[in-house]
Amino acid sequence: MNAFKNALDRILTWVCVALFAVLVVDVSYQVFVRQVLNQPSGWSEVLATYLFIWLGLFGSALMFGERGHIAVDFAVRKLPEKVQIVVAVIVQLAILTFISLVLVWGGFRVVGLSWDQNLPGLPVNVGPLYLALPISGIVTVFYTLYHLVRIVTGAERAVNLDAEPELL
Amino acid sequence: MDSAAIAGLILVVGIAVFLLMGAPISVGVGLSAMAALFVILGVQNGVLTSAQRVYGGINSFPLLAIPFFVLAGVIMNNGGIAVRLIGAAKVMVGKMPGSLAQTNVAANALFGAVSGSAVAAAAAIGSTMGPLQAKEKYDKNFAAAVNIASAPSGMLIPPSNLMIVYSLVSGSSIAAMFVAGYIPGLLWAGACMVVVYLYARKRPELKSTGRIGFGAGAKIMLEAAPALLLIVVVIGGILAGIFTPTEGSCIAVVYSLALSFIYRSIKVRQLPGMLMDATRTTAVVMFLIGVSSIMGFVLSFAKIPALVSSAMFGLSSNPVILLLMISAVLLVVGCFMDPTPAVLIFTPIFLPIAMSFGINPVHFGIIMVFNLCIGTITPPVGPVLFIGVKVAGLRIEDVFRRLMPFFGVLVVVFLFVLFVPSLSMWLPTTLGLVKP
Amino acid sequence: ATPSGSSTTAAAPVATTVFKVAFNQPETHPEYIALKAMGERLKQRTNGAYSIDVFPNETLGAQADTIQSVQSGTIAMSVIGGSLLESLNPDFVVFDLPYVFTSQAQQRAVTNDPAVVSGLYSSLDSKGVHVLGAFYGGVRNVYNKTKPINTPADLAGMKIRVMQSDTNIEMMKLMGGTGTPMGQGDVYTAIQSGVLDGGENNELIYSTLKHDEIAPYYSYTRHLMVPDYLIINPEIFNGMPAADQKIFQEELVKAIDQENTEFGAQVDAAITAAKAAGAKFNEVDTAAFQKAVAPLTESKLTDDVTRKIYAQVQAAAK
Ligand code: NA
Ligand code: NA
Repeated sequence: MNAFKNALDRILTWVCVALFAVLVVDVSYQVFVRQVLNQPSGWSEVLATYLFIWLGLFGSALMFGERGHIAVDFAVRKLPEKVQIVVAVIVQLAILTFISLVLVWGGFRVVGLSWDQNLPGLPVNVGPLYLALPISGIVTVFYTLYHLVRIVTGAERAVNLDAEPELL
Repeated sequence: MDSAAIAGLILVVGIAVFLLMGAPISVGVGLSAMAALFVILGVQNGVLTSAQRVYGGINSFPLLAIPFFVLAGVIMNNGGIAVRLIGAAKVMVGKMPGSLAQTNVAANALFGAVSGSAVAAAAAIGSTMGPLQAKEKYDKNFAAAVNIASAPSGMLIPPSNLMIVYSLVSGSSIAAMFVAGYIPGLLWAGACMVVVYLYARKRPELKSTGRIGFGAGAKIMLEAAPALLLIVVVIGGILAGIFTPTEGSCIAVVYSLALSFIYRSIKVRQLPGMLMDATRTTAVVMFLIGVSSIMGFVLSFAKIPALVSSAMFGLSSNPVILLLMISAVLLVVGCFMDPTPAVLIFTPIFLPIAMSFGINPVHFGIIMVFNLCIGTITPPVGPVLFIGVKVAGLRIEDVFRRLMPFFGVLVVVFLFVLFVPSLSMWLPTTLGLVKP
Repeated sequence: ATPSGSSTTAAAPVATTVFKVAFNQPETHPEYIALKAMGERLKQRTNGAYSIDVFPNETLGAQADTIQSVQSGTIAMSVIGGSLLESLNPDFVVFDLPYVFTSQAQQRAVTNDPAVVSGLYSSLDSKGVHVLGAFYGGVRNVYNKTKPINTPADLAGMKIRVMQSDTNIEMMKLMGGTGTPMGQGDVYTAIQSGVLDGGENNELIYSTLKHDEIAPYYSYTRHLMVPDYLIINPEIFNGMPAADQKIFQEELVKAIDQENTEFGAQVDAAITAAKAAGAKFNEVDTAAFQKAVAPLTESKLTDDVTRKIYAQVQAAAK
């Protein structure tokens, strides 16, 4: 399970880096062709929006893998360790429920409904772009199960003490 | 009870319970909103609509400014730009009492003016300034408090990612929000400087670090000029019509990247790591924005903001009292919650009420951001407080005591921002970004 | 079950099925006013069995999202711009072409004439989208910050904001300018600061978004007259008793009439307001623009369906 997680981490990391790098190039290109060449692009803004959605969703999956989503844990930290484990298990189950219902099931339904809906400006349909929802959902489900097992077996702390404050 | 009331109850109770259990805020909000949708739409359509909202909530070109400004901040953090900004800040504050602490305040404001993140400022400036101040016999806890208290000014001074989030939920112009933040942001920094001044005046040992000669000052400013030019390039480029605010954020990335390569302070192989740092922050915020959009759907579908506002008008019809009530709620919320989710959750509820007594959405945005920024330096949930304490290697309790005077002054400044609309509105109105 | 939304026991004696309608414009828009009034008449004539609740300002999501909500039955109806239906069935392009209609009255007649549209409007039923009828969406004209436009040559070098599609960019190129797609939220600042020289839209949007203050030259190119469609989930519609369906259709016809009249009145008011804000309106050499964009129309009529409908529209103009 660990080896699989490491491989998944690495793939997701490189996907995110690539998406982000293309994003920077795409928007720079948009400004350049409009302001310098006076030839506005018809697709750069649409492409940027989709790259960004994929980056956000895959990055979010990766953050579930790192247990890095913003949480308020001051109350939990004061609990006895046994109770902390119980609470942490409930939290992981809550993540599992939300992700599998919304991102995976709901995601596949949206993909189905929009599969052959065409997208102006880009040579792709809307449906495949929505695949980011179920794919990131399935990855997150794996990560959540991974943490669930490790919390129950005591391989990992109930409260993530290394969580860095993330804020805009 | 009708389904709207049940949905509202599920939202309130669900979010509170998950928050207390330490669940990711996004999951707490998302799961509660999803359950509320189940009540209104049934399970089948509830999951579909939820998925659609997560995706639709982040399907927005203007939101792209967030990853870009975050990335620009990361690059500047690694690229030696912080050190040059500190140099410039030092020259600017001259030999005021407590000049080293004043430098810290000014450097945070400058860092805020070129990046969108208060946490990045507190980390980058604090880790450099802390040791310097210790050497000059400053009380460590006071030095850390100065750094922490002044860092959030950068969330008001443009560019500001929090303002972008507010623009998204309120529908107001990003350019107008950016410009509106200048004066309140500078007032924030000024308030911190006043506290430092009063503290240092009675401590002769903190008088000054010695004057910087004209030649040396000019040299420092010249070195910092390219970094400071970023403000001119990005904000100037937006106002001059070369690019939109969203595109400007990408230009900020390109510019700071170029600068860092010129300074030779970063290497190409460091880039993937920086992109990942920015991805982490961005992804967390994006997911939060996505799931908040499920909640937004529930709120409008069940017409909950109308219920809340009629309840509030039932308590009082006096705008001043209602504004103070909203502000008090936000101040308490800010203690327990990060500003981004708070903006996402409370804007749709409070903005219509504020607008009903004639408050401009841009002004209300500044009110919210200023108020919630105070929360970033308070326990129990205070990201700027945490990072500032961490880089200084101190204890929260000790630093918190030194923060108290800053809170007092900031709350007073907040009341001015609340009741004097022109502090927020004068600049954007003068520049024609909002209608008078 | 009422997949269209909540059942509430209001003042009416029986439970009312409330059709939720997603709408992307504010409450003052002619389509909102007409749909709301239609809901009241519908409720009265069906003895409270059916009514309509319109959700303005995109509160139920962007137009593209609301199509899926209608498909799934999450909401009953939505008002959709023409180009979005093109993404589901390219044949809808006919009504979105430049200069396809000669007048508001002609568009109103043709786009609601069963002989012309019944096949087209039912073509998406299997995908969960039925088109009930078409509202008048205004006529789009070019406006800019520099000078009145008379001929395509006047647009040379001007960046004009267009809707996000290659067709619109191509159209603006043929009209002499440079089509620049951009989200509407950025347009005001972009024109003001000079990223853009102008935009193209109907008088209502021009005045409501205050573009008259920053781009005072509004020139009647009348290049696009794209209808807005009212779509419904076919299962929900077919689930209504035949008698109620008939009432619904009758009231919709009245709503479309009301909307057309109201739109005209609002355009007059918008022109007055824009003039007060300093805008100047002028007529253009329409024939020159028509000639310029003709190749685009040709290239879009690619199959028998579109060519047949186009011919019918042309015939109705005479
Ligand atoms: Na800033
Ligand atoms: Na706090």
